[in-house]
Amino acid sequence: MRTIDAVRRSGIGIRPEQTIREAAEIMEETGLGSLAVLDDSKLIGIVTDRDLVRRALARAMPLDGRVDAVMSSPVVTIHADTDLHEAFAMFRTHDFRRLAVVRDDQFVGMLTVDDLLVDLASDLVDLSRPISTEIHHAHHDSTYPDMP
Amino acid sequence: MRASVGDHIVIKSRRVGQADRDCEVLEVHGADGQPPYLVRWGDSGHETLLFPGSDATVRRSEHAER
Repeated sequence: MRTIDAVRRSGIGIRPEQTIREAAEIMEETGLGSLAVLDDSKLIGIVTDRDLVRRALARAMPLDGRVDAVMSSPVVTIHADTDLHEAFAMFRTHDFRRLAVVRDDQFVGMLTVDDLLVDLASDLVDLSRPISTEIHHAHHDSTYPDMP
Repeated sequence: MRASVGDHIVIKSRRVGQADRDCEVLEVHGADGQPPYLVRWGDSGHETLLFPGSDATVRRSEHAER
């Protein structure tokens, strides 16, 4: 499975000169917890809701400050066509929950641990259904007839 | 996905009780109507680039450029 096929949610890109307040409002409006920061379509950073809390609110930064002052950079990326197992390996060895997906050096989406967990949970439900059915509605073979 | 200027893109909510999101396509940056799109979000008027995922669908505008 390719990494891009596991990207569930739409990605949003904002400009580095947009404000911290705008970033927060866009997160609220779109329901996303992370935004790609793009300078002329080049990915230069990621800003997350956590960045806004820890680097802006906690440090009393003005909300009309530039968002690139609080973004995380450089960004760890993965190519859209890379096997998804490699993305799992990157999450296993790095301390982040989001991975920017790129193609031809252009941002195309955001892979999140949350999305992968939802997919895995769904797969587990499917896989466990035959077993749970067997447990809750046990099928008993007919008994052997009594031997004379 | 393919969209045109004037189309709306609806992002399906993943949370119970949360409304779907809607934005209008202002510019198409990909070839042949493909993403990314410069969009304007309905409530705030914020403009962002949108890279649609499987949660996004296009609602065609009758007046969209073809």
